[in-house]
Amino acid sequence: MTLIDDFALLERYGFKLLPYHLARSEAEASDAARRIGYPVAMKIVSPDIQHKTDLGGVKVNLKSEEALRLAYKEILQSASGKRVDGVLVQKMARKGVELIIGGKKDPQFGHMIVLGLGGIYVEIFRDISARICPLVGQDVEEMVAELKVHPLLEGARGKKPINKKSLQELVIRSCRFMQSEDIKEMDLNPVVFDEDGCDIVDARFGR
Amino acid sequence: MEKIVQNLKSVFAPKSVAIVGASSTPNKIGNVLMKNLLDNKFQGKVFPVNPKYQELFGLKCYPKVSDIPGKVDCVIIATPAETVPGIIDDCASKKAGGAVILSGGFEEVKREDLASRIRETARKSGLPVVGPNCLGVFNPYSKVDSVFLPAYKLQRPGPGGIAFVTQSGAVGSTVMDLAAYYGLGLSKFISYGNGTVLDESDYLEYLMHDKETEVIILYIEGAKDGRKLLAAMKKVNRVKPIIALKAGKGSGGQAAAMSHTGNIAGSYLAYQAAFKQAKVAEADGILEVFDFVKIFNQPMPKGKRIGIITNGGGLGVLTTDCIESQGLELAKFSEGTKKEFAAILPAYGNVNNPLDLVADSGVEAYDKAIDAMMRDDLIDALIIIVLTQTPPIDERIIHVLSRASDDRRKPVVTISIGGTQTETYRKIFESKGIPSYNSPRAAVRALERLITYSEYQRKLKER
Repeated sequence: MTLIDDFALLERYGFKLLPYHLARSEAEASDAARRIGYPVAMKIVSPDIQHKTDLGGVKVNLKSEEALRLAYKEILQSASGKRVDGVLVQKMARKGVELIIGGKKDPQFGHMIVLGLGGIYVEIFRDISARICPLVGQDVEEMVAELKVHPLLEGARGKKPINKKSLQELVIRSCRFMQSEDIKEMDLNPVVFDEDGCDIVDARFGR
Repeated sequence: MEKIVQNLKSVFAPKSVAIVGASSTPNKIGNVLMKNLLDNKFQGKVFPVNPKYQELFGLKCYPKVSDIPGKVDCVIIATPAETVPGIIDDCASKKAGGAVILSGGFEEVKREDLASRIRETARKSGLPVVGPNCLGVFNPYSKVDSVFLPAYKLQRPGPGGIAFVTQSGAVGSTVMDLAAYYGLGLSKFISYGNGTVLDESDYLEYLMHDKETEVIILYIEGAKDGRKLLAAMKKVNRVKPIIALKAGKGSGGQAAAMSHTGNIAGSYLAYQAAFKQAKVAEADGILEVFDFVKIFNQPMPKGKRIGIITNGGGLGVLTTDCIESQGLELAKFSEGTKKEFAAILPAYGNVNNPLDLVADSGVEAYDKAIDAMMRDDLIDALIIIVLTQTPPIDERIIHVLSRASDDRRKPVVTISIGGTQTETYRKIFESKGIPSYNSPRAAVRALERLITYSEYQRKLKER
């Protein structure tokens, strides 16, 4: 399964991903960005690279064709010597709180959902809450309340609270997806939330 | 409830018990079992079973279970693993009520073959089987006792409302000994070992329907069937509170996970999730199990506004800190209550929460303060701190606290911290069913569990 196949499967389950295109050349990337609309982000897609950010394989907030072309070259350089499937051009996500919605198949309890503070420091902060699938709206509310980052989601420091309905919907959809496709592990990370909704920036899963 | 689970009644409240492997050799399991049953005044019939003897302890000894004339309710088995499947077949054909297999040597040493023979017979005939590889059962009401530790070394608790379901025999026996020491009464003790025929979920289900059981302690290392356990906990905890203690918390996920989630989500996280989903209280260690369990004899509070009475200011402050960190609230006393307090206190006294009766207050001041708090609608629960070291406190405090704890209008917890004299008082409090703690943190954590459970119960009723 390639990244694009994975994204397509998620879309079939109703996950709304940010507009994206897997570009295999600089020209293709530039065409895609024009179609999607600036600003965009670009990410290396390689079976050899797990932590893209650490290697300089991610460039965000590219506002012009010039910036995009430069970034494309830098990304490819960062991956020299590695297998490269292409460069993912993606609409820039909204600004907001980054969460992870993860899933795992536990040998005892079956599919479970993990909600937590997302981004690249998931494993450092470990601010997470878990529930066994299937779950209902009330469960999601309780998971949110358990997080240390909870006040941030309720709108700390003059911000508006995040859109809980879209979080609830996304968690319940993830549960359904994991169970129907018998997924072993899944990360939707980060998913960026603001008061209007959320953007799924990256997704990976395995059977 | 499944028929085979219902049939457990024969095991817990038998009119006759057979001991397979009964022995005259001191300290052999079959010898201790006989002594425990006879010494603890089990009221029903006792049948020793062992082809080696004609007679044991003055009782006729039978070669096998099917040789016993008349009905046999509970068969306790303490013979080598290889002999057990045959004995279970014999129990089934005799139509015995149920069996408790104490012997080890089954799944835990990869003898799945022996275990599956037992399972097949039991399932086919509806014979409930506890164990193998366990301490079995103890019921202080019927006095049936398969715990093969001598009663003079391991005290048996008296009858009460606490049921204890444990995978481990060692933890089970320790908890039982401690329960007896603290004067806590048990309804059923079940050490189920390998859970070959009936597992933890089955016992929870049985206890839900058990009249004597009010609260359930579940000690678990690994569930036989996680999803079944979650379903059983959800169902049972609605009716009777479950307090869980999970051992084997190894924090990590699998070593070579492909995702962040795989890295952070170990098996313990799944247990935590299941406890939270079922609203089961998870205790942090053996002693906290007792902290939690003893508060459940109190009535359900209507909210989380706590009134504190103390005869030492510092402990009132420490307790207030815990109330805040546990997410509970310090109650604001009504004006009427404040007036009543002013009448109790010396002129320099402060009528706010925590109510400091000061060190020269005696037992009467406690009595009046408790009475006023019970009537104040702005208070949902009481924490009563008693420093027994102060001069005016004497043994009449036992009666005052006991009456408060039996009042039933609001839950009451007490805190007393100190040395030998205080601990002696605390043991008496415990024996009177007064929830007593020797730290503010323990008391407030327990109260928080009771409040959370009562909120859950309230929400269930509203639905």
